[in-house]
Amino acid sequence: MKSKPIVMEHFSTIHTSYIINFTFTNNITLLTGSSATGKSMSFSFIRECMAVNPDILCLNYLDYQKDIKTVICQTKGKLIVIDNADILLDDEIRKYISLDDKNQYLIIGRNPKNLFITKENLFELVSSKAGEQIEFRIEPYL
Amino acid sequence: MLTIYKNKKDIPDGMEYIELNDVFFNKNTVLKIDEKAKPMIEQIDEARLINKFKIESKFNGVVLDIDCLSTGCKTVLNVLYFPDKVFCLKECGDNALEILYSLKQGAVYSDYALIPFNMESVQVNSDLGKMEIDDYEKLKEWWSNEE
Repeated sequence: MKSKPIVMEHFSTIHTSYIINFTFTNNITLLTGSSATGKSMSFSFIRECMAVNPDILCLNYLDYQKDIKTVICQTKGKLIVIDNADILLDDEIRKYISLDDKNQYLIIGRNPKNLFITKENLFELVSSKAGEQIEFRIEPYL
Repeated sequence: MLTIYKNKKDIPDGMEYIELNDVFFNKNTVLKIDEKAKPMIEQIDEARLINKFKIESKFNGVVLDIDCLSTGCKTVLNVLYFPDKVFCLKECGDNALEILYSLKQGAVYSDYALIPFNMESVQVNSDLGKMEIDDYEKLKEWWSNEE
């Protein structure tokens, strides 16, 4: 599914020796791939930015007891970043996300069910050394 | 041999199902970590186990708390150390799945197929009873069949 990102096309941040440099080409980005590529670590750096950036909402397994659909439905104009998506998002929420035109999504997981996405939405995390730091980017998965 | 459930209702009474692998690992499995975990942590996360509570990161050699292991690696270790429980399989990447499927015992649950290309025999449990499968396509078919 091709749809332009409605909140931000680029997100970058620094956390000590780590650099996050993400470019979004779709409104829904499914960040997938092998275990231990740094997905949840990147999530933690983005979550840190919630303290200073009002355009970001982060959800992960720590929000397991929350009504995720209500949280998302009440949100407008944010990049919603969801780690542990394969256990947090049920079919109903996935369908809502696929039709949501008020927010942008970065979903970290492996299950594309009911998100109505195509290979244009699938990305993997790539890391490289940048001097003394390590830079994380997202690149097309397929 | 790993046991796989595709319906929660097929999990035997008295066998606890754990969905949040991160939380279970951080509270329980971490206390059982020993030499057996070392090769698994190296193969899946490419990290080095320093002691029960510390690992060395593959990215920059920094020493991290063991809670920084990937969820996939934590899932494998949960299954390894608690074969009497059923753990959610859904957050395992291909690299974790390959190790998981090679375990001699343990149980996992997922309502959709998650299979490594190089798989060993597994025992599947459903309404139709128990069955041993050692083929990727057959296992995929079992997972997709409605019962």
